[in-house]
Parts: sequence; structure tokens; C-alpha cells
Amino acid sequence: MDIRVLQPSDIPHVQLANITNLPENYFCKYYLYHALSWPQLSYVAVDLSHSSGSPPKIVGYVLAKMEEEPTDGVQHGHITSLSVMRTHRRLGLAEKLMRQSQKAMVEAFGAKYVSLHVRVSNKAALHLYRDTLQFKVNKVEGRYYADGENAYSMRKDLTFLEEAESESEHEGEEKAEDVDIDGDVPKGGEKKKRKSGMKKFKLGRALGVADLQEVDGRTA
Amino acid sequence: MPQAPLASKDGSLFRQVLKCYETKQYKKGLKAAEQILRKNPKHGETLAMKGLITNSLGRTEEAFAIAKEALRQDMKSHVCWHVYGLLYRSEKNFEESIKAYKMALRFEPESQQILRDLALLQVQMRDYLGYVESRGKILQGRPQLRQNWTGLAVAHHLAGSYVEAENVLKKYEETLKNPPGKGDVEHSEACLYRNAVIAESGDIARALEHLESIAKVSLDKISVMEYRADYLLRLGRKEEAEKAYRALLNRNSEKREYYKGLEQSMGIDPEDRRAMRAVYDELAEKNPRSDAPRRIPLDFLEGEDFKQAADVYLQRLLKKGVPSTFANIKALYADTAKRETILQLVKGYLASMETGGEVPTNGEANGDKSKPSEFKLWTLYFLTQHYDHYRTRNTAKASEYLNQALELSPGTLELHMTQARIHKHSGNFQKAMERMNQARELDTKDRYINTKCAKYQLRCDRNEDALKTMSLFTRNGMRVKNDAHGGPLGDLLEMQCIWFITEDGESYLRQGNLGLALKRFHAILKIFDDWTEDQFDFHSFSLRKGQVRSYVTMLRWEDTLRSHPFFVRAALGAIEVYIMLHDRPHLAHSSLSNGNRESTDFEGMSPADRKKALKKAKREQQRAQERAVESAAKAKEDRAKNAQVSNADGEMKREDTDPLGNALAQTKEPLEAAMKFLTPLLELSSKRTETQCAGFEVYLRRKKWLLALKCLIAAREIEKENPVAHEQTIRLRRAVDSLANGDIKEPSKEVLIAELESILPKQIDLESYNEEFLNSHKDSPKHVHGALRARHSLNPEDANIAGELANTLSLENLTLKEAIEGQTLLADLKAGSKDYNQKASEKFPDAAAFQTAVQELWGL
Repeated sequence: MDIRVLQPSDIPHVQLANITNLPENYFCKYYLYHALSWPQLSYVAVDLSHSSGSPPKIVGYVLAKMEEEPTDGVQHGHITSLSVMRTHRRLGLAEKLMRQSQKAMVEAFGAKYVSLHVRVSNKAALHLYRDTLQFKVNKVEGRYYADGENAYSMRKDLTFLEEAESESEHEGEEKAEDVDIDGDVPKGGEKKKRKSGMKKFKLGRALGVADLQEVDGRTA
Repeated sequence: MPQAPLASKDGSLFRQVLKCYETKQYKKGLKAAEQILRKNPKHGETLAMKGLITNSLGRTEEAFAIAKEALRQDMKSHVCWHVYGLLYRSEKNFEESIKAYKMALRFEPESQQILRDLALLQVQMRDYLGYVESRGKILQGRPQLRQNWTGLAVAHHLAGSYVEAENVLKKYEETLKNPPGKGDVEHSEACLYRNAVIAESGDIARALEHLESIAKVSLDKISVMEYRADYLLRLGRKEEAEKAYRALLNRNSEKREYYKGLEQSMGIDPEDRRAMRAVYDELAEKNPRSDAPRRIPLDFLEGEDFKQAADVYLQRLLKKGVPSTFANIKALYADTAKRETILQLVKGYLASMETGGEVPTNGEANGDKSKPSEFKLWTLYFLTQHYDHYRTRNTAKASEYLNQALELSPGTLELHMTQARIHKHSGNFQKAMERMNQARELDTKDRYINTKCAKYQLRCDRNEDALKTMSLFTRNGMRVKNDAHGGPLGDLLEMQCIWFITEDGESYLRQGNLGLALKRFHAILKIFDDWTEDQFDFHSFSLRKGQVRSYVTMLRWEDTLRSHPFFVRAALGAIEVYIMLHDRPHLAHSSLSNGNRESTDFEGMSPADRKKALKKAKREQQRAQERAVESAAKAKEDRAKNAQVSNADGEMKREDTDPLGNALAQTKEPLEAAMKFLTPLLELSSKRTETQCAGFEVYLRRKKWLLALKCLIAAREIEKENPVAHEQTIRLRRAVDSLANGDIKEPSKEVLIAELESILPKQIDLESYNEEFLNSHKDSPKHVHGALRARHSLNPEDANIAGELANTLSLENLTLKEAIEGQTLLADLKAGSKDYNQKASEKFPDAAAFQTAVQELWGL
């Protein structure tokens, strides 16, 4: 398995991995938005056993971004989506992808912490984030997912990486073979609808990139 | 003459129109425009704005009429021309749009807005020289913005002028009195972009020097490190390069490129396995949790060394209980000796477990003690996958190991999925589907297994069931109410779920429902069109963000977008359908096709019966279409009730008037329609024989002899003895020999005859040419198929074809897929299939395709 930064040409297979594994899906433009806004932050795991002529087969990916307008005024990263194919579980890919992404968040964009959402029922993902990667539950967001499930809003402080830039990874040495899945849902999406009452809004491919900053592929 | 300006009250109304348009308050804007026009009915710019707003409200035709009227009234207004260009742009007619913008600029050469709009189209259309010009003008107008400098540099870079590109970037840097502070992303990126441009121009020494000068301000540390390592290596400064690669490996010990770089900078001969191994052993020790330094040596080690290393590697993973161990090593299976060694090793683990003895351990002791049953479980699973792998397939043995594993751990999902997979590989799609569905029910929250289940359902042509399965995870589920996009299928289309749409289309093709097959393949075409369009916004967005390197990478990817296998697969499917429709137009009516077994054999009917059947089919199709449109109308009604959630930005969803693809299938010009798919294939995937063979079939039918020949030559160049190209060569020879005088003009005729002569000379006897091909490839089922197909066309009465085809079933290397292709060939040639099916059902006892055929034969 090769672990490297996501390239635009990887997007069709990343999209395939995403829609194969997770209920939260995005159109190509949203992946492009990540890859072109923060090209250092998203990573892929590539299965090398496939023939060399065809595009690399993606078996895992982390799609990450910086929060554009952090409400708390603190620069921080955000994991939009992370998944590993079931056929490639317990190789520690999710963890390796995440570590690369986090380091880049600090170096390239001065992130102080990284946040993410995970379904409260997703035990495997929770284990990965909390036990292996030392995320902490920040709060529970009620009915975050389209099907009504709550999400844990989790965070991990990244300031320790600021000094330790050259040190090799020592934390989280304990077992990390477990997996992960989390797909993000639009930040503004459902909430905005409630707040603005009758105000109509539409999310979709037709939107300009700038509008994508608020939302993701899950159309209202 | 320019028009007189509006009176001041109307002037402010006009400004209101502009504002309303910008804020998307279209109805209000339209009202204001009409108010102005009541007093000034011939005011061109107001008319133009009215047209623009009308277009935004979805009334395109009307909008064009108004915009044309605007131009008639005021030919010299840049607003009127600009609007005209915008209308064309919204119709995606970029060429006309560019023309209109250029007219607008004649009257308002400085307008930043029009220049920007023009520039966007130029780069989208890859008119780089035009783009350089527009970018130059934009920079002149607004030199204070850094993005305008970067924009011009990108334009030069894309146009291939590295020197110009660098000069522009440099010039801007020189205007900076104080260097931007640390943390300025735009500056960091612009410097790295300049560095990448220098390197791309080939001047690596200067690139390295420049890189050192910007390393401090660069925020993208990895790029700096990667560039440096690469430059040092290319400059032959190997010691420094080695250090650089080691530093990179320190950061990411799973990136294969770094290992390659390290090997090269250390000057290790890849053939010197001992030296290679020493390097990797050291790195493995340094990175106890990394896979790469342990896995890579398995690629180059041989013999006893390989065995030893593989032993350590396999035990490490299996004892840890890694289910994906096989996935991690199966690339080694191309090597017969290696796969044999692996099998012996893993069988050895199982044997020593069963005798209760210790498993021989080699080297690394694993810290965590996994339960022995877990080790056993994944060892059995590994052996299952070994015997299910296409190179070492023995489905009976695979099932044996799998059953043992299931006894140990009946609840493990992977095992159930693999059981379904084994059924699939032995040809029993029905059973495979049922097993996969049972597996799915063990964990209904897991989308991966849900996906697999839907895929297996599609392989059984259970399209409705598959969609229902998919709907468990689509946004709107099966809800029809509040269905703004057409149910789960609409959701899948919107989320660009390519795999499902393609498999669905292929399934309809198998069933002979060519309308729906085309419908799906066209949906893929549309997704790729959307992806092309997706780059549009980034032409401005990326410059604003200052992230230019990734933007340029994206443009280059977009240039070859349709070379992607996702496109190729759908395109080949669509071309196949169009060829069928050309050859047998009645297939446009799915009830007359031979795809599903119950259908009538249309071609065997008398002319009168044919007429009757065709009429009936048309009636049925008409009814189905009416039903589909009706249900669409009902969905629309439901939608209207929930209107506040959709279409807020005025974007109109067009109704699908052809949900079943009937109109697509009934095209009068199937071959012309096929070109939409074929052209990108020939342009971007010309190195695939499938592409060239598909091109041949289309061009031959279009009587484009030279183009057909060109495809044939290309196919033979890729694979000289390709069986499809072989059959096509004979077909072309015969077609050319029977060409009438009027069919092709000189000098094309001369070229055609001369070129074909060099492939297959005219005096050669085609039958013996074909038999010779058959003889020299008699061990390859695919080649035998090609030759027998050719023989049938040369001699339709040949009675030996069925028998010879049945002989392929004794070939050692015959795969199930090839056996089924043989069955299809027999059906195509309308030859007796009794022996073939009987023999095939013995060789593949679980394969439904042959079982069913044999049962039918015996009237069971």
C-alpha cells in the first residue's frame, strides 16, 4: 500500500471508495474543492497490486480541509471524510492517513487543532479516533446526519506538532489496526434550514465553488 | 450611433435591474426592466438585461430573441454584446460566446468584467495564446493584485513559455518592498510555483538554487523536501540526495517513491539483492510499524531468501489477525514460484496448528499475543482466498477451507462475503447473490457489503432489487414523495455513482433492453461532461486562493479525463449497442430482442409476422413510455407541493422526456450517435485494442474504409495476433474485394488497396490464412473463437465449428468467462450447442449458464 497526497486524477477512484463505503457522498467538484484549496491535506492509500497502466486503485482516503471561517477564531483543520475499504482493514491505513494529514495541517496552515464528526453508533471509528488518535469528544450534535442520528463532534489538539516537526511519531504506539469510517455532513445544511425558516437554498453541482465552502454534496 | 442615455429616473431604474440580476432577484429585476421599456421600448441595454434575466428564469429561447433585438437596437453597446456572450455561455456554446465577448471588448476594451469572462472561456477551451493576451490586459488594468500577476504567469506556463512565466513571477516579487511575513500562503505558493516552473523548464541546477532561497518562507514543507531530494538526485549529488530521501522516509515511511529515490541515490544495483535487502532491513528496524520496508523486499527477493522473508511477513500479519493479508501479497502471484512458496508456508502454519505444535517462528517476535484461534481463522481465510484467486483457482478447495473457517467463526462477515464470491467465480450468480444478501443482513449498517450485494444483484439482472438495496443508503431512500430528483436512481445519478450506472447499463444490454442500456451509458457520458465543466469555476477560484500548482495539475488531468477506464467501459458498451441497433434496428424494441429467453426469434419469422410483431412491440413500448411519463408527472406534482425546498436559485431541472431510453434506441443514425463515445476513445485511449476494434466496427459500417483500416493497423500494432483484429482483417479484405467502383474514390482507393495488401495480400487464400491462424493458436480459447467466427463468415455451412469449439473446453487454461463466450459465439452463429453445453456443464458443474442450457435441452 502506498500512502501519498491525493491528486486530482485520483478523484474518480476516491469517489468510488467513498460511495462504496459511506452514506455521506459528494460530487466530483467537492473533491476538487478540497484538492485545490488545501492540496497538502488530503491523502490516499493506493493498492499497488493492480496493473500499472490503469489509474491507481484507491483503497483508503482522508479528505481534509481547513475551516475557512472558524467561529472561535482559531485556525483549525477538519476531516470531511475518511474511509478504508473493508478488504483492506486492520492494516492501520486510516491511522497512517490521518497522521500525514494532521502534520500538514500544522505546517502548511498553522492549525491548532483538528475536528471531525462521527456517528455515535460507529464504535470502530470512535475507537480509532479516541483511543488510537487521541481525539476527545467536544460535544454531541443532535440529529447531525440525514437519517436523524447524532454525531460526536470530536477534536484533537495539534500544538504538540508545532515543535516536534522533525521528531518521528511516537504517540499512539499501542495497537492501531482498527478502522475508521466517517463521512461528514454539511455544516450549515440542516441547521440553516431551521434557522432561516422559509429561506430557500439549494446545494448542488451547479453552485459556484465559493458556495461550496459552506456545504457539501448532500443536497438539502 | 450610440443610443441616447436614459433619463435620470430610468437610469437609476436600470442600475436597479443590474443589482437585481446580481442578487438573483429575477422577478423584481424583470419588472424594473419592463418599466423602463414602457417609456423606452427601443433601449438596447435594457432589452439585453431583460434577455439575461429571462434566461436565468429558464426561458432560453425567448431570452435569445430579446438579446438579438437588443443588438438590433444598439449594435455598439458592450452590454448588449456581453449579454449575448453570456447567453451563449449558459448554453455551453463557448465558441460563439468568445466571439460575442470579443465584440463587446471592441466597444469597451478596458472592461475587467468582460476581459475576465473572456479569459475564463479561453482557458476552458485551452486557447492558451488568447488566454495570455487577455491575462496581459487584465494585469495592465489591475497590477496591484498579485493574483493578476500569477494569472499571467500561469497563462504563459500553459502556453509552454517557461521563461515568460518565470519573468512575470519574478517581476512581481521585485515590486515587493518588504518580503511578506511568514504564514502568507499566497506568497509561499507563488514561490514554489516559480520553482516548479524552473524545474519543468529543465534547469535543475537553478531550480535547486532557487529552492534553497525560498525554503524558509515555504509553508509546504513536504514539497520543499520532495523537490530538493528529486533535484539532488537528478544532479547526481547522491550523498545529499540519500540524506534527503531518508528525511522524507522519516516523515512518511509508506510512500513507495521515496524508497525508489533512496535506492537510486545510494547507487544500489537492483540486481544486487543482498545490498538491497540490507537497506530495507535497516529501515524496517527503524520503523517498527511500517509495512513498506517489509513488503517491498518480497518483490525482489528470490528462492530461499524470499521464503524466509515471506515467512516472517505472513506470520506477522496473520498472527495479528489481519484479514487483508492476502490483498497485501497477491501482487506476487504473477510469479509462479513465489505463489507456490507462499502456499507451502501458509499450509505449513495450518498443519503445525493442527498437530498442536508450535508454529515455527522466524525473526521478529510479535509483541501482542493474539488468540491462536484468530491466527488459525485468518490462515484458513488466506487459503480460501488463495484457491479463489484467478491464477490458482480451485473453487472446491476454496469452499473447503472456507467451511473450516466458518466453523471457527460463524459470525465473521468477510467469510460470508467470500462464500458469495466463490459462488460467483464458479458461475452460479444466483447463489452468489443470495449468499451476498444473507451476508448483508448480518450487518445492515455497513455500506460496503450493501454495495457488494447490489452489484451481485445486477449481475443477475435483478435491476429493481439492486436499486432497492442501494436505496437503503441513498439520501432519499425509496421515498417517492418529496422526491425532487427521481428516487434512488436520481440520487445515484446526482452523486455520480458511476459503478452502479455502468453495471445497470451492462445488465440491460445483456437483457436486450437497449433503450435503458443506452440511457445509462449516456448518463456516464453526462457525468464526464459535468467533470469537464467542473473545472470552470476553478479558473478564477484557484487564482484567488493562490493555490496554483494543484490547479495546473488539475488542468492537465482534465485534458485526458476521458482516458479513464470508467469512461472507456461505458463508451465501449454504448458503441456495442449502437452497432447492434445499426445491424438489427428491430432491437430498439426490447420485447423483440433475444436478450431474455422468453422473447420471440424475430429474425426467424415470416415478413408478415415480423410486421405484426413489430407493431405489437411498438404498441407495448408506447404504453410503457406513457406509464413512465405519467409517474414522472405524478412525482412532479408531489414536488410542487414541496416547492420551497428546491429550485431556489432559479435553476430549472428539465423534465426527462425519455426515461426508458426509447428515443435513444430508435435513433435513425446509430453510427453517428456512436461517434460521441468513439471519438474520445480514439483520441485518448488509442493504445487499447478494444478501442481500435470498436472503431473498426463503426467505420466499416459507415463505409469509411480508410479510417477502418487505420483502426485495424493500430490494433495489430498493439497486439499483432489479436483474435478480434484477425477476424476483422479477413472481413475487411472481403469487403474491399467486393467494393464497387462508385464506393470509394481515388486516391483513397489506391491507398486502401496498397495498405491492405501489406497486411493481407489479395492473392492469399482466406480460408487457409484463417486455418493457419487457428493452428498456431489452438491452445488459446480467445484465438480459437476469433478464427471460428472468421471461418463461419467464409463458409457459413461449415459443420465442424460446433465440434471444434467444444474442443476448447478441454484446454487447461480455459476460464469460465471464456467458456461462456464460446456459448455466446455458438448462439451468434446459430450452431448446435448441445455437445458444447453438455461438456461445459461437466467442466464447470456449478455454472448456471451451462446447467440451464442442458436442462432445457432435456426438457427439464
